[in-house]
Amino acid sequence: MLDRCTMDLHCYSHFLVHSLLKELKGNLIIFFAVWFLSLQILLVLLLIRATGHTLQMAYRQSLNSLDIVDLLKSSDSLSSGDVAALVYLWNPFTIAACVGLSTSPVENLVVILALHGACKGLVPLAAFGWVMATHLSLYPAILIIPVILLLGYGPDTPPRKLFLQKGYGKNGDNHSSDNCGQQETNHSKAEVTFSWRPVIHFLFWSSLWSTYVLVLCSISVKPHGSLWEMFQRTYGFILTVEDMSPNIGVLWYFFAEVFDFFRSFFMIVFHLNILFMILPLAIRLKHRPCFLAFIYIAISSMLKSYPSVGDSALYLGLLGLFLDELADMQFSFFLLCGYIGVSLLSPVMHNLWIWRGTGNANFYYATGMAYACLQIILVVESVSAVLNHDRKLRKLSVTKLRDGNS
Amino acid sequence: MPKTETETPKMKPRPIVRLAIFLISHSLLVCVVCCTAGVLALLLLPLLAKNTYISENALMPGSASSMISNRDISEANRLASDLSGLNFEPQDAAALESRGILTKYMSDLGAEVSYHKFHHKPNQFHPLHFFSSPDSTSSVDNFSCSAQGVNTVGIIRAPRGDGKEAIVLVTPYKFGKSGTAETLSLSIAYTVFSLLSRVTWLAKDIIWLVADSQYGEYAPVEAWLRDYHTPVFTGLGALNADTCIKIDDLYALEQKPIAQTKISDGFRRAGTMAAALIFKVADRNELLEDTLNIYAEASNGQMPNLDLINIVNYLAVHRQGLRVKVEKVLSLLDSRWLEILGEIFEVLGKVARSLNPGWKFGISAADYVEGSATLASSLYNQALGIPTGPHGAFRDFQVDAITLEISPKVSSHNKARHNEFLLRGGRLVEGVVRSINNLLEKFHQSFFLYMLTSPSKFVSVGVYMIAFALLVAPLPLVAASLYADANQLDLGVKNTKSTTTAPDELDITFRSWKWLYAAKEVFLVHVWGAAVSLLPYFICQIPNCSPTSSSVIWVSLSMLGLLILYLIAGSPSTHVSISQHEEKGEWAILKSVTISAVFIGLLLMSVVNFATAEIGALLLVPMCLMAQPLKLDMKAGKFRSLFRVICNMVLGFVAFPPAAYFVAKTLFEGSDSINMGDFWNWMESLWAWNSATYIYIGMVHLPCWALCLHILLHSC
Repeated sequence: MLDRCTMDLHCYSHFLVHSLLKELKGNLIIFFAVWFLSLQILLVLLLIRATGHTLQMAYRQSLNSLDIVDLLKSSDSLSSGDVAALVYLWNPFTIAACVGLSTSPVENLVVILALHGACKGLVPLAAFGWVMATHLSLYPAILIIPVILLLGYGPDTPPRKLFLQKGYGKNGDNHSSDNCGQQETNHSKAEVTFSWRPVIHFLFWSSLWSTYVLVLCSISVKPHGSLWEMFQRTYGFILTVEDMSPNIGVLWYFFAEVFDFFRSFFMIVFHLNILFMILPLAIRLKHRPCFLAFIYIAISSMLKSYPSVGDSALYLGLLGLFLDELADMQFSFFLLCGYIGVSLLSPVMHNLWIWRGTGNANFYYATGMAYACLQIILVVESVSAVLNHDRKLRKLSVTKLRDGNS
Repeated sequence: MPKTETETPKMKPRPIVRLAIFLISHSLLVCVVCCTAGVLALLLLPLLAKNTYISENALMPGSASSMISNRDISEANRLASDLSGLNFEPQDAAALESRGILTKYMSDLGAEVSYHKFHHKPNQFHPLHFFSSPDSTSSVDNFSCSAQGVNTVGIIRAPRGDGKEAIVLVTPYKFGKSGTAETLSLSIAYTVFSLLSRVTWLAKDIIWLVADSQYGEYAPVEAWLRDYHTPVFTGLGALNADTCIKIDDLYALEQKPIAQTKISDGFRRAGTMAAALIFKVADRNELLEDTLNIYAEASNGQMPNLDLINIVNYLAVHRQGLRVKVEKVLSLLDSRWLEILGEIFEVLGKVARSLNPGWKFGISAADYVEGSATLASSLYNQALGIPTGPHGAFRDFQVDAITLEISPKVSSHNKARHNEFLLRGGRLVEGVVRSINNLLEKFHQSFFLYMLTSPSKFVSVGVYMIAFALLVAPLPLVAASLYADANQLDLGVKNTKSTTTAPDELDITFRSWKWLYAAKEVFLVHVWGAAVSLLPYFICQIPNCSPTSSSVIWVSLSMLGLLILYLIAGSPSTHVSISQHEEKGEWAILKSVTISAVFIGLLLMSVVNFATAEIGALLLVPMCLMAQPLKLDMKAGKFRSLFRVICNMVLGFVAFPPAAYFVAKTLFEGSDSINMGDFWNWMESLWAWNSATYIYIGMVHLPCWALCLHILLHSC
């Protein structure tokens, strides 16, 4: 599987290099840029794959501990890590981001680094990824919650209540007095507790890394200005939506239209929009931190000030990680059609507006809104699919328990 | 505890959801109604056409009296006689000489004159040209010195302007081998130009481009525009100096007799172009009166702003008394069924008017036939995506431009008649230039997306979109209903079932991802379509290949590709996991995915080029909706299914692009000249002009046809 991936990647980068070289007449910088981006993608692939394996192992383990292994037989052939990696690799959005020499593959890499580190329990790596991601594009800052949950609880599991029920069921079930069951109960009980140690470590490491990054930054920006100015030029630029040139998001149009004296108000509203959703989602999905991270990434890539298709590539890739949970997702076909339609329509509308002059901004903005709607549907449907999956697991384990008891 | 989950009261879906479910569950009826309504709406379009009106107030056409005097005309006549005096010399020398004379006349008027050399290169295959901006890099390609033309450009600086805006007049002219008609168009342009060099009201610079039309009329204009919009900082002269010495020699030679006038070596520019008028005098003579033909379609069905056509039409009809015409499909003019339809609509209109005098949508049958012939021509020209004249080059740079072709009544030997014709043409152009001169902004007020049904009537985007929307509306509905049927989704119609079935399906079924196999198939066929549309690029490389053999190679290679694809990926053994039960719905899911792909494709195309999408939808929508495995229908053996089989056969034949082409050709041009090579030539012209229609045929129409055929032949 791995060598297939790398072979694919090789062809892919080869193709990219060729097309770009033809286009740009052998520019060496471009060549290196493409190689660099390909390297990023390779790393992301490996990390996603590894994360997927971790998640799947955790999933199987928890199913094992719930005694509902038969659920797995249908999805045995598919490894979610591989699927996610392939989705990320062959996603046209990834290719577009790479061809466009966007920096989003780099941002994606650090985000994945953080998630991978957190999944594997590699605290310094997770802290590094998180700090770098925040440093590069600010929005991944909200990933601190899933990362902490991941470190505290471990990778995604069915709801904790289930294990508790199971534990009680086993405990109450006195005639089955084999040690194995007892051990399992203890094991699942141990899993429920939140371990503070790695979290403290994480906080320590992230403060260390951020001091390190800030010191490096201050050294490098010293000849040009202060650190504060750097913040203004980077985070300030992201937060105040200064650049209103059209992109696939929804904010540029809004802020181009809004009256100046409302501007700061709406700026606050739009940014709080992301923050509002953090807490409820964190409470509802605290047993699935990785999925929570996916949702956060999807939401922020929908509502961020300068979204790009590279962000979508990341969350669509992550979507593959939750193959088992999302197997019964609704509207999947509709979503695919919508994504294809919007991603084809949007450049045409842009062309109509900017180049041909026969359309206007509304044409293009309409595709932006459609895109946002699709993302909302994707988020809503995937969350409900995961919750349904949890319900199904509960039903299964309850029936199992009942069968065992009777 | 889990019991409470399943026993929650059944939620009543929201009205919009219920409406959607209702529509989906009655999709057959909705299909028939919508498709019929779509075709009917298309036929109704000539009735719904509105009269044009001048939308931009600043234009004020015809508000000032014309200022062209006899002096301008006699000057123009002198130029014409000087030019025609050269015609019997050897061609090269005559070309040089005539260019020199023209330059002398222009610079005598106080205009800045410059030459623009360009290299004619045959069109190349740019499949993605639609998305890219007009490219500037191609000028560096190697070229042959022989195919070089020289445009002559004269610029009058506006006394009241700041040099930021310009109006362009273009006259195609074959230096050295021009006919009387071309000389006449040149003298009209000169009349106007000499007037404009004197007037005080000019606020925009006037550029007069005498395009060297020995390589066609489009190429020189396009080359000049490209150079106009791409600043070259090294200077064009330096770039070309070492490559084409011969031409440069000629160039130097030619400069001698007019050494006293200063011809700039570099490229002269004025400001951004507000509008452009291309005008020429037709060779043919009209019987009744002087006629003005307007050509407006640019590449990919783009049209200039309607206001430009309006002012030309207004001035030509109301001020100069010209008869204005736009292109028509002549064979439709005497078609019987259209006439009958027109009569029906006329009667209906009369009835409606008797009911309520306010309703006046009835037009006479003759008007209806005329309107639909014009509309059909408009639709066809837009769908083809090939510009109908040099104005197409301007539209690629967002400049509104039209071609005016004036046909004189009788041959212009009569002196007074000749002068009157010059006066009329000159006044028309002067009036239009004066109106555009009044513009404060770019043309933006009126429509860009419209179709003409007569020079003074148009159908706007809001109206003609209805016909298209009605036609494609069934597609998502049918896709949804097929998908729901195949997945046995509960759409709320059978309310009772859901609670009972839910506990049984506690497995991870991947049922909602079943479409992935169908999607894979559709994707592969689309890849095949892309490959097929790239094939001509390679077939073109074969030397000495006649169009007939090229098209045969093309078709056979495509079929071979499809066969290979089918053997590799289409074999049913690739997806074993599908159980027997689901096998039944397989073709339904495939059809659903196909329809979705077609819907996306048509939607996309309707934005890129509406006319193509409309014509494509007329072919594709019935075929997609009808497609059902022949085996099933044969088995059923009822009248209805037999009818469907016949429909499917006919549609499957007609929707095959070459077949469609030949059928249309036989219908409109008669069956005497059917040649396999024609199709190749037609497709070649499409891709040579970078028409999006070509991509549409290759990437939407052909794959859809193949998929529908696949569904028809499905073994279920």
